[in-house]
Amino acid sequence: MLESDFQKKNRFFLNMGPQHPSTHGVLLIVLEMSGEYVLDPQPVLGFVHRMHEKMAESRPCVGFMPNTARMDYVCALPYNHGYVSLIERKAGIEVPERAEYIRVITSELNRVASHLLWLGAYLLDLGAFTPILYGFDDREHILDILEDITGSRLTYCYYRFGGVSRDIDDKFVASTRAFIKRLRERFVIYEKLVTKNIIFIKRTENIGVVSPDMALRYGMTGPNLRGSGIAYDVRKNEPYSVYPEFDFEIPVGSQGDCLDRYMVRIREMEQSLRIIEQALDRLPEGPVRAKVPKNIKLSPGDCNFAVEAARGELSYYLVGDGTSTPYRLKVRVPSYSNLSCLPELGRGILLPDLVSILGSFDLVIPEMDR
Amino acid sequence: MAPETKNFKEDILFHEFNTTETDYDQRGYHLEVALEVNQVRKFAQKAYDEGFYLVFVTGFHVLSEETAEGTTSGLNGVYQFARYDRLYRIKGHVSVPEDMSLPSICDIYQGANWHERETRDLYGINFEGHPNLKPLLLSDEDRDFHPLLKEEKKLKSLEAVSWAPEALESVDADAKAPSADSIDS
Amino acid sequence: MGEENKSSLIKPDLEAYVEHLKSESCRPVIEDSAGPISRMKLSDTILKLCQANSLWPMTFGIACCAIEMMGTGMARFDISRYGSEVFRPSPRQSDLMIVAGTVNKKLAPVLLTLYEQMPSPKWVIALGNCAISGGPFKVKGNYNVIEGVDKLIPVDVYVPGCPPRPEGLLEGILKLQEKIAGVRHPLPQNRHPGSPLRKVKGLKLK
Repeated sequence: MLESDFQKKNRFFLNMGPQHPSTHGVLLIVLEMSGEYVLDPQPVLGFVHRMHEKMAESRPCVGFMPNTARMDYVCALPYNHGYVSLIERKAGIEVPERAEYIRVITSELNRVASHLLWLGAYLLDLGAFTPILYGFDDREHILDILEDITGSRLTYCYYRFGGVSRDIDDKFVASTRAFIKRLRERFVIYEKLVTKNIIFIKRTENIGVVSPDMALRYGMTGPNLRGSGIAYDVRKNEPYSVYPEFDFEIPVGSQGDCLDRYMVRIREMEQSLRIIEQALDRLPEGPVRAKVPKNIKLSPGDCNFAVEAARGELSYYLVGDGTSTPYRLKVRVPSYSNLSCLPELGRGILLPDLVSILGSFDLVIPEMDR
Repeated sequence: MAPETKNFKEDILFHEFNTTETDYDQRGYHLEVALEVNQVRKFAQKAYDEGFYLVFVTGFHVLSEETAEGTTSGLNGVYQFARYDRLYRIKGHVSVPEDMSLPSICDIYQGANWHERETRDLYGINFEGHPNLKPLLLSDEDRDFHPLLKEEKKLKSLEAVSWAPEALESVDADAKAPSADSIDS
Repeated sequence: MGEENKSSLIKPDLEAYVEHLKSESCRPVIEDSAGPISRMKLSDTILKLCQANSLWPMTFGIACCAIEMMGTGMARFDISRYGSEVFRPSPRQSDLMIVAGTVNKKLAPVLLTLYEQMPSPKWVIALGNCAISGGPFKVKGNYNVIEGVDKLIPVDVYVPGCPPRPEGLLEGILKLQEKIAGVRHPLPQNRHPGSPLRKVKGLKLK
């Protein structure tokens, strides 16, 4: 980093956010700048702090379900999944197999929708306006499919303790298969439009390199970690639901730069489509909801459950006290740990590179603030 | 397809601490460590040397009680670590003494920086050695309003929110919590 | 130790905070609306139609409703056919603020600063339940969420939903156009039977 005498004497502070088109939510980053170089980025959170953990302590455990979707609204079904599985583990509820398959299919569809939105938003930050239109177009198809059975477009509250709330029908299966076929053809368009684009490669290669040791010290998970070469995915490492029955790979990158994180997410979408296809082929018959008591009493003691959300490992930690209201519920969100490495990673980089790094981390700020 | 979960007992040990093995299917983690305040940093250092990553640092609030060392503050800190290469989750909990301070593990795990700031915001636990203990989630004027502290009438004792000792011994599938036919009240 | 830290003693008083914010901001700009730009009826009508036809929103998406706002700007729902072709990131270049999401204590001064920076005439749409009244976060132990953005700034159109569908936001834009110009979707002026231009004497329309 070359710093002239003038720049050394005239260092200044720049506020990036909280209202900014590229921060993906209300995030303020206070940048100490010297010319065009960032010396010390310090994120400031708390602009969307909505007291989720406090709300969990003042209502029965079933009343927290709407909150789970509002924490990460882009990929809400894995959040639902983690919470209902936590209560099922605590109370010892068995889930019918058909419900588990439906949960896996809808969660993976939601993961694809989340990655499509990320793709569009990331490229919009880098200056390309076309991919977001394509991404949102594909995403609207997924939203139509999910709206037929869940009833909402964005903040789903579809899972229940012991299963799901409604069964899927033939229309869902047919439209999902048609969508998978369509998306595979669209991937060719994305490949030609984005992946082989020289401007995109120049803006993402060797930018924001995260080493495996840095990832371990900060607790990073998800595609950000897999871009650095560590093949850690909760679906393989700590399998839950019916994931052990499916055959899928974990894509990893090699260097840990923005281009690797991008490639990991693109390949993850393809693996999600594989999982959905296998699940649709093997879908068993049966009930979709187990009989559970109206007031589930949480026995005293603590319990933990981890799922793989689109952004990384999401764990719920619950302390029960014998009533149906949780005594303490802690939500460990992936974006929180992913962003905390920014003060170390962003030292001495150019400002446009900071925008590229933030976009490649795939952050959703309300889940960080809870 | 499922990773091996049996091998960890032989090679990664936390013998020098007060550990209990737990039933993973019931609780979601494998090892529970009851820590003293002066053992927190040693525990974090051992976890880092063995290659664990930090999942979270948080707390919860119970009734304060009289012990041999003095009155506790009622707050408890919880640390959770896990591994990337195999399935092994460990949880450490420590009772915060009356001066409301715990040692910070920021120099070992830099990710704990934000977790400890948030725990201070929500509970008021002071982490000694933390470089920058400013409010993270709450606004500056609310820095002393610790929202997750419970009111007197809602506080319960630590025994009331811990697993009963019988549950620790029975690790088979028979000892499950209430079945689906229980009456709602 | 339990007595001093009872939540009720030092709970933040949200009403007092909102009053304090409003007293510090530029009150005349927020409280009084800007009068008509010109005093001639014909130019006033034309100006109103032009304003209604090209409302440029400012990107102020906070939470979940922001995704629906982005979806409205995309190819399927296409807000640009109603005139909002561009979402301006800068408040100086926009005349419509769509508050999409929950406003809390830390964000309230930011919202007021942005609102004051927008030049008159300006309008506000409160999108979603959180911006209307606090939404699902209006609970008994609320210490952080401002219950409704209309406690801070004057709101013209409320679009309910959690989150509202993009068609709901489009209906909100049309209602705002009706509020400004008297008719929904004023374009094309000369073909719309309810256009106020038809009532102006001497103006030849097809």
